[in-house]
Amino acid sequence: MFRDFSKKALTSLAVAGAALAASLSSAQAEYPEKPITMVIPLGAGGSHDLNARVITSIIPTYLNQAMIVRLTPGAGGQKGTQEVANAPADGYTLLFTHNYIDMLQQHVENLPYNPAEDFVTVARVNYAPIAVAVQADSPYQTFEDLVAASKENPGGVQMAHSGNWGALFVPAAQMMKALDMQWNLVPYQGGGPALQALLSGDADVTMGFPSSLAAHVEAGKVRILATAGPERIYDDVPTFAEVGVEGDVGFMHRVVLAPAGTPEDVLAKLGEAFNALGEDKTFTRMMGRLGENIDIIGTAEYDAMRADQSEAYKVLVDELTGQ
Amino acid sequence: MIDQFTEGFAMAMRFDTMALVSVGLFAGMLVGSLPGFTTLMAMAILLPISFFLDPIVGIPFLLGIYKGGIFGGSVPAILISMPGTGAAVATSRDGYKLTQKGESRKALDMALYSSAFGDTCSDIFTIVMMFPIAYLVMQFGPPELFAVLLMSLVIIAATSGANPLKSLIMMMLGLWLSFVGTDPLGGVERFTFGLFDLKSGIPLLPMLIGVFALPEVASVIIKNEKSRQLAALVGERLSRAEFRRCLPTICRSTVIGTGIGIVPGLGQIVAAMMGYSAAKNASKHPETFGEGEIEGVAAAEAANNAVNGPTMVPLLTLGIPGDNVTAILLGAFVAQGLRPGPQLFEEQGATVFAILVAMVIANLLFVVIGYLSIPFFARLVTIKTSILIPLVIMFAFAGTYVFRSDATDLLILVAFGIFGIIARAGRFDVMPMVMGFILGPSMEYAFGQTVAMSGGDALGFFLSERTGALIVLIVTPAIGYLLWRRLYGSPARA
Repeated sequence: MFRDFSKKALTSLAVAGAALAASLSSAQAEYPEKPITMVIPLGAGGSHDLNARVITSIIPTYLNQAMIVRLTPGAGGQKGTQEVANAPADGYTLLFTHNYIDMLQQHVENLPYNPAEDFVTVARVNYAPIAVAVQADSPYQTFEDLVAASKENPGGVQMAHSGNWGALFVPAAQMMKALDMQWNLVPYQGGGPALQALLSGDADVTMGFPSSLAAHVEAGKVRILATAGPERIYDDVPTFAEVGVEGDVGFMHRVVLAPAGTPEDVLAKLGEAFNALGEDKTFTRMMGRLGENIDIIGTAEYDAMRADQSEAYKVLVDELTGQ
Repeated sequence: MIDQFTEGFAMAMRFDTMALVSVGLFAGMLVGSLPGFTTLMAMAILLPISFFLDPIVGIPFLLGIYKGGIFGGSVPAILISMPGTGAAVATSRDGYKLTQKGESRKALDMALYSSAFGDTCSDIFTIVMMFPIAYLVMQFGPPELFAVLLMSLVIIAATSGANPLKSLIMMMLGLWLSFVGTDPLGGVERFTFGLFDLKSGIPLLPMLIGVFALPEVASVIIKNEKSRQLAALVGERLSRAEFRRCLPTICRSTVIGTGIGIVPGLGQIVAAMMGYSAAKNASKHPETFGEGEIEGVAAAEAANNAVNGPTMVPLLTLGIPGDNVTAILLGAFVAQGLRPGPQLFEEQGATVFAILVAMVIANLLFVVIGYLSIPFFARLVTIKTSILIPLVIMFAFAGTYVFRSDATDLLILVAFGIFGIIARAGRFDVMPMVMGFILGPSMEYAFGQTVAMSGGDALGFFLSERTGALIVLIVTPAIGYLLWRRLYGSPARA
């Protein structure tokens, strides 16, 4: 009966027990001595949620502590980000976010935090190229059809996205700019609800990542019109560059951040754990099931990438908002 | 389909499934009954265990925690007027009055049986009607959500207090309180007065404990009944005749709860309130509701548990979870290699049916475990008041703090406690305020989405595109008016 009840299960059982016990005691010990909370500033059921469930199920093996996911959606990701920016820099509150929330929003509005100064990278976990999706019975057979309809009837095409200046909004805005067309952008509380809006016919088009779309594509409910990245992901679906959307459009980096000032040894310990996670066979298998890649990048390297992203987004926002 | 079901049924009949469901139920009940500890927290912490168990063992284990936790939440609501979640608010209304009358055991029994009844019926209905429900869920967009939430608020305001005008004032206050913090659509700060602690809004738990539990504590202290017990007796168990008397109410609430189960996220809270309101409206003696009416407990508990079946549908058929609990279940499914979505039933039909059958079995086990534990819970209130009251105060403060380890929450708790005492002195019912506060943000978001969908013209959009939502909006004032008339006479007189 305990066929699958491997050593790992016993470890997680012990960890869970220890987690419950540790949350009641406050004795000083080596980090981590209590469960770590990973805040996701996005809604339930999106790709971050799924990725986080897999990460937090395996990483206790390397940290000897539970990692708890807390979903704090709201204000386009600022609610959760702010929560972590103001959390103690002790390594017990981490943020699992992406590049748009992290580096783009600062150019759009006054944030209650400074992303560059208030956060430090723990690890970049993976990246995902976005895809433009319509319902299978949509009149838009190709990306060109969609563009033509959008130009003909500006604002008549409903595009469901996951929140202003979020992972679906930004590529959509970049696309509208590049192709000189107009969509009506409607916010939903995450990628899952946006996909549901497409499936129910409330929205004409949405975007999504392979992990969220795969099941629906296979079931013949959703058609993909274009994908991000230099190479084709599906043989018969063009890339953004092929349809006239050039540049770094539609890549989402999933990254774990910690409040700035987190001690070096804590960051090192977390970094080690994430590197070990990247090598873990169970983790690789589970991420494969989700249709996600794994590409762990450490603190120094991704912090440099963040600086570059910030520059690039500033140009983009200035262009889009006409400043 | 039938083959898959019979295969699934056979798969679920396993000793280890039942053993771990029982463990989950018991753990959930304990965690749920401690104020401040949420079922969600327990599920998240224990989720990884399920990853390495067989799917037919691991997922029912999580479902056990969930179901146990919901009942656990109604224990402090009934015994010490301390609802830990929005779903238990309606239960505490009559449940706590029954405790004061010395009938806590009867109230807990009724909560148990009506929960199990509502849940079982809705699970079976869900198994049979899975795909029609999935179709209905798809018809439910932001405009419909807005219309249903607005109607719920009107019904709650019309049926909760003795004075509809006062109820409306309190509901407006609740809605306004829900605006405090960062605007969910645009990210603009509202009514925060520059205070960081208010930026993410007012937390629900300190409000619930503050307005429901602290005034009860205060009233016991003011009466100075130090030598007496809060309730001298735990009372009789629920009799079969009483259950039979409440059966029509339980059935009505089950239907209401199952119907509301398609509302994503807020189902349990709305269902409990609607079930309660409907029972009060249908009753020949509505004045006994709120004064310790066993039917009130039955109505609320059957309704909030009947939501459980349909909430599984978007998860199973679309792979899109409606709330945080189903999001955790999604994680469990994915890690097992079961990818919820349109093809899940084709590829893994038997396994999915086995899990659904295990849900029904969990309800039956739940009755046994609940029956055995209730006497212990019920005995809590027979402690002398001089000991019980300090205990309740400790639970209130510790529960508030443990919720997210934020000391500001304690200030909010005290503030709402004082507010609750004042409101009670002025005969204002705090329930409409709490409901306005809970439902406000979702209603606002849905309205904002509707405006965005229509490109700014929400009214024309309702008229031309959303017949269902429009009908609900049109009948809402009529329903509100009729309920007022029926329960309180002419609203003008009130």
